[in-house]
Amino acid sequence: MDPFQNRRWVIILTMFTVGVVFIVRLLFIQVLDDKWAQRSMEITHSEKSLKPSRGLVYDRNGALLVEASQVYDIYIFPDEIGEVDTNELATFFDLSRQDFDAKLNKAIEYASYKPSIFIEGMNKEDYSKIAFQLPSKKGFFEERNTQRGYPEHVAAHVLGYIGIINQEEYLADKESEEPYYKMTDYIGKTGIELVYEKELRGRRGVVSYLKDRLGNEKEDLTQKNAIAGNNLYTTLDLDLQKYAESLMKNKIGCVVAIEPATGEILSMVSAPFYDPELFVGRDLGKNYAKIAKEDTLNLKPLINKSIYNDTYRPGSIFKLVQALIGMQAGVIKANTPFACNKSLINCHNHPSPTDVSIAIQHSCNPYFYQVYKRLIQRGEDPSGFKDSRIGIEKWAESVRSFGLGVKLNTDLTGIKSGTIPDANYYDNEFPPNNPYGKHSWAFSTIYSNSIGEGEIGVAPLQMANLAAIIANRGFYYTPHLVRKIGENGQKREEYLEKHYTVVDAEYFEPVINAMEQVVENGTARRAQIEGLSVCGKTGTVQNATTNDHSVFIAFAPKENPKIAVAVYVEYGTWGGTWAAPIASLIIEKYINGELSEKGMKKELRVLNETILTKNQVFK
Amino acid sequence: MSTLRSINIWQRMDKWFLVLYLLLVVMGLSTVYSSSVGDDVGSLFSWKEDYGKQFYWILISLFLGFMILLMEGNFLKNSSYIVYGVVIFLLILVLFMPSINGAHSWFKIGSFTIQPAEFAKVACALALARYLSTSGVKIENFRTKMNVFLLLICPMVLIVLEPDPGTGLVFLSFIFVMYREGLSGNVLLLGFFSLIIGVISVYIASFETVEINDAVIQKIVASGEKFDPEKYDELARPSGFFSNNYILAAIMLLFGLAGMLIVKFFVMPRYRKKYYPAVIWSTLFAILFILSINWAYDNVFQDRHRTRFQIQFGLKLDRKGAGYNIYQALSAIGSGEVTGKGFLEGTLSNNKFKHVPEQSTDFIFCSWGEERGFLGSLVLISVFVAFLLRAIIIAERQRSVFTRIFAYSVASIMFFHFMINLGMVIGLAPVIGIPLPFFSKGGSAILGFSVMVFILLRLDAERKDVLR
Repeated sequence: MDPFQNRRWVIILTMFTVGVVFIVRLLFIQVLDDKWAQRSMEITHSEKSLKPSRGLVYDRNGALLVEASQVYDIYIFPDEIGEVDTNELATFFDLSRQDFDAKLNKAIEYASYKPSIFIEGMNKEDYSKIAFQLPSKKGFFEERNTQRGYPEHVAAHVLGYIGIINQEEYLADKESEEPYYKMTDYIGKTGIELVYEKELRGRRGVVSYLKDRLGNEKEDLTQKNAIAGNNLYTTLDLDLQKYAESLMKNKIGCVVAIEPATGEILSMVSAPFYDPELFVGRDLGKNYAKIAKEDTLNLKPLINKSIYNDTYRPGSIFKLVQALIGMQAGVIKANTPFACNKSLINCHNHPSPTDVSIAIQHSCNPYFYQVYKRLIQRGEDPSGFKDSRIGIEKWAESVRSFGLGVKLNTDLTGIKSGTIPDANYYDNEFPPNNPYGKHSWAFSTIYSNSIGEGEIGVAPLQMANLAAIIANRGFYYTPHLVRKIGENGQKREEYLEKHYTVVDAEYFEPVINAMEQVVENGTARRAQIEGLSVCGKTGTVQNATTNDHSVFIAFAPKENPKIAVAVYVEYGTWGGTWAAPIASLIIEKYINGELSEKGMKKELRVLNETILTKNQVFK
Repeated sequence: MSTLRSINIWQRMDKWFLVLYLLLVVMGLSTVYSSSVGDDVGSLFSWKEDYGKQFYWILISLFLGFMILLMEGNFLKNSSYIVYGVVIFLLILVLFMPSINGAHSWFKIGSFTIQPAEFAKVACALALARYLSTSGVKIENFRTKMNVFLLLICPMVLIVLEPDPGTGLVFLSFIFVMYREGLSGNVLLLGFFSLIIGVISVYIASFETVEINDAVIQKIVASGEKFDPEKYDELARPSGFFSNNYILAAIMLLFGLAGMLIVKFFVMPRYRKKYYPAVIWSTLFAILFILSINWAYDNVFQDRHRTRFQIQFGLKLDRKGAGYNIYQALSAIGSGEVTGKGFLEGTLSNNKFKHVPEQSTDFIFCSWGEERGFLGSLVLISVFVAFLLRAIIIAERQRSVFTRIFAYSVASIMFFHFMINLGMVIGLAPVIGIPLPFFSKGGSAILGFSVMVFILLRLDAERKDVLR
């Protein structure tokens, strides 16, 4: 017999073993270990996002302030470029060889295994030149995007701008509850673009699809459409904004105009300003640097001073607040007289005020010295120091009800609270300047506050809000910039809430009458408008070595006020010199729609004046 | 003998073997269809499509198979050397044909191509069976071994020259046949242990060059991406645990000493003299083998080879480079999970998506695994092993040595293909390009394998009538 026939079992066993080993291996690959199934998803599945169009921004009358135009971003995927003639590619993209290399290196440095932006915001015209051949350039592809446009070239500070998300913003978003952004997304950087980012951006859609080996889209699996961003209907009045900007040209300072009945900001100017169109697309970085570099006088054109610059002293306009709080606290009555005693504090020549209205009308410094003294030293403690402490706390609290010294919740970022000094302030923050030390302050060391100088700091927005409060006889709505989010939308609820000051309406009448007199017969005669009762108050903020700052707040008409304005012109000498006429022009233009002959003369005077240098005119 | 022609082939034919064969062919055709169908789903009968060609090749195979069934076994046996000679002639001739895909492997006739190497296997099987079944030929003789060696080495060398090293390697499978026919088991054992020790040595050597690349990890982290060690597992592997193969050599030495002690205490004194040198020499040989592999790994192989080894042992993915094929293949198979995605529902291994290279030839199992899942894999492997075991059963019931050797050759060749091809796509064997019988697209292959099956069927049908 065959001596080797048992060897069949070795062979059978071998075959059987191989089969079993394969089955066990496949059991792991296909069933037990889902690693490979997941990897297959990475290979086959891909997603592309459908970009939502960003919301547009309109003024209060429906004029377009911010548009969105179609542009193309060119992306680069360094790993997929392969061997190419870089000279040819540089020519293709209309770049110099250096620029091309710099961009390429930047992309490789960022990550060569994923795409990054190569050329940002190419307009339709430029794109059409390369569109046909782009698909043949390996490692480059385009993505449609929207780019901002500013047809009216106004309100740069308010509108803000958008740009590609930076590392910081990206990481912050990643850690938020609902991460949304990709490294290539645009995001609002400042202004309402930033505050209303979520509303404006909409919601990205996504198509998930199966791709082939070359990455071509083969089969769509699911599609979630993009949701377009909401349009914003702002409170700005385009014509007024434009006009205010023209008046503030060649000046440093701010104009803020508010509709008192609603708190809607009609116009907000911070001068000097810039053309928002400069911050569009790929020119953003370049122009930003350029503006910063050209600002040799340190005028900070990029900053919205009307909310950010809270170290402006209000000067005499603060006397309005002192008068109101004084009456409410009962330390004076409407008819309380004080002598214009120049030994207390310096004043100009005018008859001694016999009541509070006359004191306001003549902006009598000693009068308000007395008022403030009574407010601070209420005689509740025999120690002058302790008494001042009690007094200032009460005073500061009252002032804060006017939206001063507190951060207004306006729909902008970078808002500052200003300073209304209280006990804590003098104890802790003041000492470097306080020769008397902690707890060693009293009315005698802080009396400058009585006339809006000293340690008081107010941002122009707060000044305008003060004018609105007086116009409203005691309350305000938080000033805001957006009336409606989306065509059928609402404004934010917080802007429908009335904020009352601690002062009763009755005490406003003497103050308002005085403000009317200021314009009729007082320091702001330049603010007169024919046929319109304008109520205003000038301020002249003292500077040690340079011209004083010119301040004016006003509202009109006296009954049912339509507009409240604050104008701050740095180095504008007297409040009546520049701030008052500018404010009146704004009021006249807004209420009458056109200027009278007198108004046109005023306008010409303002337009021809340049007040840009700090040290232009010495006293 | 004269009644031979009239035997009822249909009654005597092994139905199991035929059914298993047909099952594999049908499964294979469906997989070729699903893996080569493009964006436009064409007719199975279309000449222009790969699956259409495959279908016609199968028809040709069945027709030829039918013809073979009508041939007399003796005629087949007698033509063995002629067939062998013709194939050798074709293998020489094909070297002068224009190269296709970088190899001189094909005769091109119109849009069809013929690959003589596929027929060399069956020709060798016939010739080997004929030679070894010749009376007076004993496998123990050195001369016989030399003749068998020559018989196999000729087609092997010619095929490697094409170059088609994968198919050349298939001729190693005849070692199983030789073993069954009486070749010393030591040859197999030596090969087996050399393979095991070699694999372990290379595996250990591969560890040395895998390092946790901090620079790469930092780059990933810096880019803001979360570092996922699973995804970059080639980076996160421990290294230096087996610092080198000296430890393995030392272990080998311990084995050797243990062997000596076993010989000393458990072997009868009269055999000890014989066993001591055997143990000493094999231990020394093993240690030398390990050390030389270690040396070769560092000094002979180049980085690209080392990368290949590391990929093979799963120490590295290199999914974009040398590891691409296997990464894609495993992903496709893994994506089938338990029940698969369904016929024509694959999203990796077909002509539409092409994520898996060679998806209808060498890597065709990916398509099956993806669309039929683990259950499908189980079915395919079971049917294939059943087919192989049936061939062994057929072989073992022969009185005819010729038929038995031929049957073992068929089983061994098929088994070798099965083991290497499937082992390759599931990452257990190195990437060697040989087809999976009845599955991989290719006319010559299906024809060659079918001829083997039908010759075996015919020879087996005659088993009761003939003693060759």
